[in-house]
Amino acid sequence: MQTKILLDEEQIPKKWYNVQADLKSPLDPPLHPKTQKPIGPADLSAIFPMELIRQEVTTDRYIDIPEEVREVLQLWRPSPLYRAHRLEKFLKTPAKIYYKWEGVSPAGSHKTNTSIPQAYYNMKAGMERIATETGAGQWGSAMSFATMLYDLECTVYMVRSSYTQKPYRKSMMHVWGAECLPSPSTKTNAGRAMLEKDPDTPGSLGMAISEAVEDAASHSNTNYALGSVLNHVCLHQTVIGLECREQLALVDDYPDVVIGCVGGGSNFAGISFPFAGDKLTGKHKDVDIIGAEPASCPTLTKGLFTYDLADEAGYTPLLKMFTLGHDFVPPSMHAGGLRYHGDSPIVSRLVNDGVMRAVAYHQSEVFDAAQTFARTEGIIVAPETSHAVKSAIDEALKCKKSGEAKTILFNCSGHGNFDMSAYDDYYSGKLVDYEYPDELIKESLARIPKIS
Amino acid sequence: MTRIGFLINPIAGMGGAVGLKGTDDKVEDALLRGAEPQAKNRAKITLNFLKKSKDLIFFTPSGAMGEDVLREIGIHDVQIVSHPANKTTALDTKIAVQNFIERDVDLILFCGGDGTARDIFDVVGRNVPILGIPAGVKMYSAVFAIDPSTAAKVVLMPGAPSYRDSEVMDVDEEAYRAGELKTHLYGIARVPAAAGKIQISKQVFEESDEERAKGEIARFIHEIMIPDVLYILGAGTTTEGIVRELGVNKTLLGVDAVKNGKTLAIDIDEKTLWALLENGHEIKIIISPIGAQGFILGRGNQQISARIVRRVGIRNIIVVATPHKLRETPFLYVDSGDRVLDAEFGNTVLVVSGYRMAQRKPIYQPQRG
Repeated sequence: MQTKILLDEEQIPKKWYNVQADLKSPLDPPLHPKTQKPIGPADLSAIFPMELIRQEVTTDRYIDIPEEVREVLQLWRPSPLYRAHRLEKFLKTPAKIYYKWEGVSPAGSHKTNTSIPQAYYNMKAGMERIATETGAGQWGSAMSFATMLYDLECTVYMVRSSYTQKPYRKSMMHVWGAECLPSPSTKTNAGRAMLEKDPDTPGSLGMAISEAVEDAASHSNTNYALGSVLNHVCLHQTVIGLECREQLALVDDYPDVVIGCVGGGSNFAGISFPFAGDKLTGKHKDVDIIGAEPASCPTLTKGLFTYDLADEAGYTPLLKMFTLGHDFVPPSMHAGGLRYHGDSPIVSRLVNDGVMRAVAYHQSEVFDAAQTFARTEGIIVAPETSHAVKSAIDEALKCKKSGEAKTILFNCSGHGNFDMSAYDDYYSGKLVDYEYPDELIKESLARIPKIS
Repeated sequence: MTRIGFLINPIAGMGGAVGLKGTDDKVEDALLRGAEPQAKNRAKITLNFLKKSKDLIFFTPSGAMGEDVLREIGIHDVQIVSHPANKTTALDTKIAVQNFIERDVDLILFCGGDGTARDIFDVVGRNVPILGIPAGVKMYSAVFAIDPSTAAKVVLMPGAPSYRDSEVMDVDEEAYRAGELKTHLYGIARVPAAAGKIQISKQVFEESDEERAKGEIARFIHEIMIPDVLYILGAGTTTEGIVRELGVNKTLLGVDAVKNGKTLAIDIDEKTLWALLENGHEIKIIISPIGAQGFILGRGNQQISARIVRRVGIRNIIVVATPHKLRETPFLYVDSGDRVLDAEFGNTVLVVSGYRMAQRKPIYQPQRG
């Protein structure tokens, strides 16, 4: 009974898969926040290197992974694919559950899959410094690790509630030589304006993005890097799904269900885009692709599919995506990495087109699932990841009812070793089940006179 | 140094053990039935923790209302503020509290029940925070610590103190002895915010400031208020905050009606409310849980009766509460007087707790346990 399905180092993908090539029609273009006209490469060149801008817009199906990047990825890739025998047995399900374990990276999550190429392309473009933001600290630590490898300086704006809640993520960034500031900070105009408006704000990813973008735009030696949402970030994460497809082929399997948790969408994109491509091209029409998000920030399940800003202050382009509104400040729940008002435009498009679907869960039920997972498979997952675990368990229990032996694959995106205070809260009954009151909002919106 | 005004209601809790459901005007009856003073022993538990602190000065009445127990425990940094007679009354409590205020105490720590809380509140209002060591027969007010040792932890909480609003409840003791629970919202006092008293680090992600939370709730409710709909707002500071956001005043303890941003009626009783319904208004109700146990209906909002709720419909009730309040009540309760209606509320309720934010809270349903 095989538990770990492993690939050799030379089987690390040599190309990223770009799902934009297989979309039925092109993505809606990003719009300039002031003119509301489609932006061009020149608009982005102040904060991104040209190669990443190219990757953002290209419709080429495959993009080469530079050899220097693959060499770094070798530190932890290919990551193992596990068959969750013990979880299956515990659930008494006929389903086969597989999980891709991305917690083996130095920073402990999938985020390094894109921080490495992003730092690499910036180094190649002659940049000296990166400014970025982080929600729960996963991305900030991944970027700190990557910039260190390529001798770049790094400033991380960390959402204030997480900065206080997860001090060890901050310590990791320091070990790798980065500077970490609580956001909103007094270092940027955007941060100062937000503090003036609300000195006690817990901060949000949208606010931190504004600060990092402003920092990059106002320093010529500095570029900006985003850990999720954007097309090139999702592209870099496809190594996850590409490896999974190879690993499952080794055991003659292919998933009926593919699951990831969704905040900005990158880890979900990473595991699912290669399978979404199979679905779009008709190779596997029936694969069910599920994004699991928090009920307190239910972008895909309760948001609107429309153009909105990617940040709070309005520095970023308008993206066509599912959004709860860029001024929405999600409550400070433990899955800080999922506190984002919007979502990846590609994920949004695929959900809108019915290629993928989304589910939303409360905090306490995802921790129930995380506990079950830790007590069967051993791994203590990050609160973000526990949303995917919950969805996988739900799907496996559906199989138990129906008697179907489906193959379920989920992305086990990161470990929760720095989130033990969240587990403590779970055990002491202190978790709050936040929920977005969409009925109330919709009822009032429905009565607003329509402007034609 | 923290200046503590300390008092005991020596007779609090005596009625309970002998089945009197409250001790108002029943001391002799209770003594005849063999009741023993409870309050002193309860206070000792708290004081034993507090005596280790060198940062506290106590102000207290002489004798059984405070001085005796402080000395017995070995607390000597005590200043006597008043001299009650042997048989203490509500007036003695009020005199002591007046003296506490004159001596500028930071907190009034008292040991008693709902009756003691009311007597103190009558004098102090919202000017000085109060904290109860639970010792009475009835404790429907939200000003009590969970138990005497927790009261000590709250007093010794490190860092700058923060405060929140808490309801003082009035129970009709005559009716209560007759087996009927009639509670009314008596007033809203300031109490130390107990959140964070233990394991502060885990609480940092919560809203730390209740006023801020009320502002957020008000902003959201304001945003979703529908034109031409009549809003009935229940008692309490959270609902008051909503109306204040509209720029009009609200009765703190009463039920008011608001439509299109204007107050239509204040402090309305059940009959007037019913008449508004008969007038064919489209109505929504905005209420906040009341009292220590967190009652959505049946405590302090009795004007919103079962027949009113049935007519308006449960789906047109918007429940609001600050994260502080919700943290302290693991369950919410409904006691409309109509059990079938109570059950129709189901097992959970969505409570608006911030701007475009709500919490899913369980409702205690007796048949479910």
